[in-house]
Amino acid sequence: MNPARNRLPVACRTLLVAVALWHGSVGALDSAGVPAFPDLAVIPAGVHRPLFRTPDEPKEIPVAAFQLEISPVTQGQFLEFVRANPRWRRSNAKRLFADEGYLGDWSGDLDLGPDATARAARPVTRVSWFAAKAYASWKGRRLPTTSEWELASAAGFARADGAAEPEFRSAVRRWYGTPASEVLAPVRSGRANLHGVHDLHGLVWEWTSDFNSALVTGDARGDTGIERMLFCGAGSQGATDRGDFPAFMRSGLRSSLKASYVLPNLGFRCALDLPRPSVSSPSR
Amino acid sequence: MKSRLFHGMRILCVASILGLGVGVRAKDDPRPQATGTNLPPCCRRAEAVAKPTDRSLYQLESEWTSDVGKKVRLGVFHGRPLVLVLFFTQCEYACPVLVSDLKRLQEALPGELRGAVDFALVSLDTARDTPEVLARYRAEHGLGTDHWSLLTGKADDVRELAALLGVNYRRDQRGQFSHSNVFTVLDAEGEVIQQTVGLNQDPRDAVRALSKARRDGKRTGP
Repeated sequence: MNPARNRLPVACRTLLVAVALWHGSVGALDSAGVPAFPDLAVIPAGVHRPLFRTPDEPKEIPVAAFQLEISPVTQGQFLEFVRANPRWRRSNAKRLFADEGYLGDWSGDLDLGPDATARAARPVTRVSWFAAKAYASWKGRRLPTTSEWELASAAGFARADGAAEPEFRSAVRRWYGTPASEVLAPVRSGRANLHGVHDLHGLVWEWTSDFNSALVTGDARGDTGIERMLFCGAGSQGATDRGDFPAFMRSGLRSSLKASYVLPNLGFRCALDLPRPSVSSPSR
Repeated sequence: MKSRLFHGMRILCVASILGLGVGVRAKDDPRPQATGTNLPPCCRRAEAVAKPTDRSLYQLESEWTSDVGKKVRLGVFHGRPLVLVLFFTQCEYACPVLVSDLKRLQEALPGELRGAVDFALVSLDTARDTPEVLARYRAEHGLGTDHWSLLTGKADDVRELAALLGVNYRRDQRGQFSHSNVFTVLDAEGEVIQQTVGLNQDPRDAVRALSKARRDGKRTGP
């Protein structure tokens, strides 16, 4: 039904060059002194500059501070979820909520396969947006918004603005230019960014809660009549930073997804609001 | 390679705000009015007991509030073909056209079918489209309670429904929602069987899908 789908494998080059293990200050305190769960990092408030926008849309979207899991959800973690939620087991999942191929690389409903130990540490993929959302709410968490995800991923290894850090920029470009390998690396193989978050670039694509907010068709080949009739809104839009190729790739992928899709290199991680009101902190 | 994807992405402004015709044809409805009340289709009966099929939207557990104030699940539409659209009442561009497209579709339905098809407008604007606002919209646009339901819900649930329908949307600075212009035909089971993409499209495909849904529904349905 959707021709864009056939092109997905091409669109989805994930990258796998993992830089040597390097652990940052994982699960540290944020500037306000709020302790995080060890698997969460605090992403300080910032702004996200959307790649495409209409004239009515702000150049910068303010993003409040939030917590983000430091690595994508693993197959081991997802196994716990399906154990506890039989309706999300491979053989029970409804086609409306997950396409055929959901958890298709597992050997059974509750069986990761012969190399289960290794697999348990790898990111779970072949999960639909609905499944990811269900996992997150089971954990008492949620999926990050696209703005939150992009904000977190913009941080470099050592600076909040990764774009200003040549080493980070070239690492990211290298990652996005490398085809996905058959076997995914374990999570956290990649170098953590400034906030202690791993694998935002370099391992798998990730679902966001509002992936379907991109008003860009996955299959736009020009200004055909139907394209023009597709969306309500105002005016044409231009890209903010034409040099940010990885951002184009992410935006392109997101806009070509449907919520029931399952892809071999599309996973997710959860987010969580900061506890509020935060303990009286000198910085606020 | 990817540039193709991004070529020609524009969000189009369809600024023609058409005057909407009034007059939903209640008189053509051969079906006896349920319980003689003025309740819209969403709110007449108890939820369907039948177990939804694997591809049915009626599996959704989300709760919606109708313009008459009643809380319902989408499963209430089970048993009859439904035309479903996401819209919002303060839409300046496309929604008026979408709604008039739906009315055109309703008028294009052959007599018997016209009485058998329901229409549901679900709001994207969860903050502003309260049941009262929807009720006003119904009155202003002459959307009769015989076949038209107007629903509002929670932001997360709208996001989920939109995801199921393949509708993309986002809110802009002025509180307008940019959104895909799509209306969807669901069969009696609540499965998506046809979508009309774009404004001012020929309603023929939708009519054909609805006829088929009606036939299939008769065979298996209530």
